[in-house]
Amino acid sequence: MASWLQRLFLKALVLTALFGPAVALAQEDDPLEPIVGADIERRHIDEDMLDTENFEVGGYVGVLGIEDFGSNTVLGLSLAYHINEDFFVETIYGSSEAQKTSYELLSGAVELLTDDERDYSYYSLAVGYKVFPGQVFMSRNLAFNTHFYLTAGVGNTEFAANRYATYSLGAGYKIYLTDMFAVDIGMRDHLFSHELFGESRQTNNFEGRIGLSVFF
Amino acid sequence: MVKRVTFKPAPAHAWTLLWLLLAGWSLPASAGWFDDEPPLVVTVNNAYIDVYTGPGRGYPVFHALENGEPITLLKSRAGWIKIATERGLEGWVKRDDMQYTLGPDGLAPDFIDEYRSDAVVGRFEVGAALGDFGGADSVGLSLGYRFTRNFTIEADYSQQAGRYSDSEVAVVGLLHQPFPEWRVSPFLRIGGGTIKVSPSATLVDTEDREDPVLQASLGTYVYLSRRFFMRVEYRNHHLLTTRENNEEVSEWRVGFNAFF
Repeated sequence: MASWLQRLFLKALVLTALFGPAVALAQEDDPLEPIVGADIERRHIDEDMLDTENFEVGGYVGVLGIEDFGSNTVLGLSLAYHINEDFFVETIYGSSEAQKTSYELLSGAVELLTDDERDYSYYSLAVGYKVFPGQVFMSRNLAFNTHFYLTAGVGNTEFAANRYATYSLGAGYKIYLTDMFAVDIGMRDHLFSHELFGESRQTNNFEGRIGLSVFF
Repeated sequence: MVKRVTFKPAPAHAWTLLWLLLAGWSLPASAGWFDDEPPLVVTVNNAYIDVYTGPGRGYPVFHALENGEPITLLKSRAGWIKIATERGLEGWVKRDDMQYTLGPDGLAPDFIDEYRSDAVVGRFEVGAALGDFGGADSVGLSLGYRFTRNFTIEADYSQQAGRYSDSEVAVVGLLHQPFPEWRVSPFLRIGGGTIKVSPSATLVDTEDREDPVLQASLGTYVYLSRRFFMRVEYRNHHLLTTRENNEEVSEWRVGFNAFF
């Protein structure tokens, strides 16, 4: 994968417009091509010739409980890179919306935030550790690879027209339907402090989610 | 008259150019840009090689490859190689076990750990970093392209969340590594772009401001695996403000980057 993606990038960069035909013609003109072609069987194998699948891109949907502001649906995207069989790094971006606080509901007229200020989004860069690898058996002859994982990360939350430095902790369970596709059931806790109620307050914002990811 | 004469060749030229563009796009595609490459076949050169159900040492071993058995290498992930046997069985073997195989040329395939920057010339690197931006927390993304042994050009975007103000920095930088062959390889970097500062809404009510920013940094790459490295960096920001004095901000950052 890495190699064709690379080619695609380079191709877009250089925009091979005038190079293309020249290269192609040179290849077509070579009368030895079909005869020498057999030699390819004796080539030396190098790791770069092998497709790599270390990146993982995914989407998820879940429920995010925003402390004091109710809970709402959260939608997110994730991109991960698998360093080795134990560790990975992950960036996630999610967005949701805050509801009214109990105080706003009880008092009736008070509005702490405008509608725009209730938009809630976060992103995080995390390091993950894969634990308990194994298999689940769906039937006698069908088994899926699985593992649990733990993550710890740092990022930002945009909420109430402000940006808050945010720490996040997470855990999840991943089921590989094939080598390329995986279902991810997980939870995250996003921690940050704000001063919306006057004094600084540390909040825990828990999220439960389910997602699907593709390796490339 | 003159107009007609001078303009007439132009459309013809444009058509030729368009045709060349189309040809340039389609011909290389048929000449192998997206064609399937021939399969990578190696033979086992050891008493046996264990085959696992998944890419990790904790997954069960369910098969053993025999000495002299040809196997096809399908893909790699995180230090494991997916293989297929001639009978169609698929599984994962350790990347290190590739040393116990022979390629079509009778030599073991090259699966070596290079851990060096000059082995990845012509590749893109993507990364994310965390930092302390003059007391504010900073998070950033970068995309770079290594065009020679020593030089990388990169675009970098980061956001800072501070106590009194938030900011965003977008820059383009040029990075030089004097010793790209080292596993821990120091670098110098210069960059320029813009910084947008938004004072916190809950505290003070002033306008956002956007200023040019120049950067100079000193840091090092630390290779953790063949295509993956950590980057530690000290970055000095020089803000060219429209007010009386320019501002300077120091930033420490740690990032993770991967080549692709």
